[in-house]
Amino acid sequence: MKPSALRHGSRSRILAAVILGIAAIFVIRLFYLQVIQHGHYVALAQAEQMTRERIPAKRGEIYAMSGDSPVKMVLNETVFTVFVDPSVITKPKEVITVMKQVAGGNVRDDMEASVNAKELRYRVIANKVTRLQAEKIKDAGLKGIGFQAVSQRVYPEETLASQVLGFVDTEGEGKYGLEGFENEALKGVDGNLETVTDVSDIPLTIGDRNVRNPAVDGKDIVMSLDRNVQSHAEKALADGLQRTGATRGSVLIMNPNNGQVLAMANLPTYNPGKYFEVQDASAFNNETISAPYEPGSDVKTFTMATGIDKNVVRASDTFNNTDTIKVEDRTIGNATKGKTGTITFQTALAFSLNTGFVTVAQRLGDGKNINRTARDTMYEYFHDRFRLGQLTGIELSNEAKGIIISPDDPDGNAVRYSNMAFGQGLDATMVQVSGGFSALINGGNYFKPTIIAGEMVDGEFKKNATPVPLQSGVIQPSTSDQMREMMQAARVSSFGRYDKQGYNVGGKTGTSQVIKNGQYSNTETIGTYLGYGGAETPEYVIMVSVSGDNKELQGSRDALPIFTDISNWMLDYLKIQPKG
Amino acid sequence: MSNQSTSYYVNRRQQNWSRNQNTTRYVSAIKLGPVAHTVLVALMIIVLGLIYVTQATRTTGYDYEMQKIDSQIADYDQQKSELEIENTRLTALETVKNSSVAKEMTASSNTQYVQQ
Repeated sequence: MKPSALRHGSRSRILAAVILGIAAIFVIRLFYLQVIQHGHYVALAQAEQMTRERIPAKRGEIYAMSGDSPVKMVLNETVFTVFVDPSVITKPKEVITVMKQVAGGNVRDDMEASVNAKELRYRVIANKVTRLQAEKIKDAGLKGIGFQAVSQRVYPEETLASQVLGFVDTEGEGKYGLEGFENEALKGVDGNLETVTDVSDIPLTIGDRNVRNPAVDGKDIVMSLDRNVQSHAEKALADGLQRTGATRGSVLIMNPNNGQVLAMANLPTYNPGKYFEVQDASAFNNETISAPYEPGSDVKTFTMATGIDKNVVRASDTFNNTDTIKVEDRTIGNATKGKTGTITFQTALAFSLNTGFVTVAQRLGDGKNINRTARDTMYEYFHDRFRLGQLTGIELSNEAKGIIISPDDPDGNAVRYSNMAFGQGLDATMVQVSGGFSALINGGNYFKPTIIAGEMVDGEFKKNATPVPLQSGVIQPSTSDQMREMMQAARVSSFGRYDKQGYNVGGKTGTSQVIKNGQYSNTETIGTYLGYGGAETPEYVIMVSVSGDNKELQGSRDALPIFTDISNWMLDYLKIQPKG
Repeated sequence: MSNQSTSYYVNRRQQNWSRNQNTTRYVSAIKLGPVAHTVLVALMIIVLGLIYVTQATRTTGYDYEMQKIDSQIADYDQQKSELEIENTRLTALETVKNSSVAKEMTASSNTQYVQQ
């Protein structure tokens, strides 16, 4: 029948109108859903189909030197946290048995209770399970067990150089040492993956919205620290502490010709892989960089160098030693008494006579007083040239600054500077003293102390550029020569018999009082020794410090033997041929 | 309407081809109605759809293959990493010092250098 034949008001015409109406509703609804609500439903679909994953960057590894070759000191290991969904577990006894058999040492104490807690959906039952253990557990085919991969740091050398390395906490953040200072470089940058996945979460290449930004792995850093030197330094220090009864000690070994640190040993120590077991957090501190103290008589070398460099004194010059010297209203005495009369400054250095170095400070002024000129000169040399009381910028966390009181400060008076002449009244760290001392003996070139020698790139060791002095002309080369001669003569006169023959070894003892409750303690001293060794030129600087609560430790008796032990070993290790 | 052509549209090229040739136009005797056309179009759409689905599935198959290979690479990387750790542990100074070989060693005497 032709449409035109439909009569007005006929049932067929009404049916056609209804169908048309329904079709119109469909069209309108579809238009609403597909056009107006297009964005909303696309977003819903993407949320359902797209998976966004973080691609974790691999944390950079840390190497140390072993002679000329880098060796790994810190690596990454993937371990697994094992969890259960107790409501899904069908054979709880078997789960418990398998877990005990395969991962006994890693199982948590409440494992059995967790497995039987049917009302819970997620319980961790074991931590730090290895891949092999995880595979064995999976092979048992038990329901309700899951694994979560976790990356952790591994320190195969255990306690060796722990304060230099630092550790990584549970959040993946580096703390203390190199891990803390170079955290950002070691961490790298995580990548991300946005992709359509199937029901098994397998990424599919279909779709035009897939995004893949690969992770940038962290930098593999090579330290200048030599693990053999470090190991010997730690052993020598441990032996020294046992011998002397000291409870704390530090050793710093540096190459004076480029500022590279070869060893930094501190006792007590800890294992970075078990940092959470440490009871006393002070064990994390690297005392060589973070514990400023009054270096004591080691600083006499700086005072003498200043005097020689300013042409106010020579080693062979004399002064009248009365074992005491008056500075304003204070009287300063010598620890070693009896070397009175007209004596040389060489003798003053050999016997560490305070009066001799206060005299040097006076000669930097008008000869009788440590006036403003003398104080300005000492401040310039100590602070600006030898860089005591300044951050060295070494690449380790928690470096402390110390302090050298300026002559502009009301406390920077003559009494203060007379004390500074023999190492009191100022605070400096061992790395500052060693850095300044290196410039003092190497001809006057100050190198920034550094712990980083380079990095590993595609398995190849890329050395940093050859270090250049941060400041040249700290002192004149002739001053440096005279200082080496003085220190060598001082050592030969008293302790030379302990050194290997045919080498130039020199140094200075230091015994400094400890400030307790704002006053110098009469029952506690820190013993230090600061020295160098080599043949024609110095090849290493060693600084030793030993201390203990209520212990009177001396530089010559307690710290010097540790220096001697390490120094003689270094001459062999570095294959330094004797002179001539 | 007859399907047999009664009129000719002769363009220039056909004219060239046709030169000195007797061209004959064959007309199929099978006649398709609108229903058959519709069915054929639907079949073509289905075939094209099947081809698309086959290709898309094949791509997905590659994805599974890639995922499998990626997984293998990750496994090998992890095994390599574990071996490196084991190697580093075995060559750590403390391990070496405590080894039976090291315990048998004697302390070295003073190093002597030969003058050349």
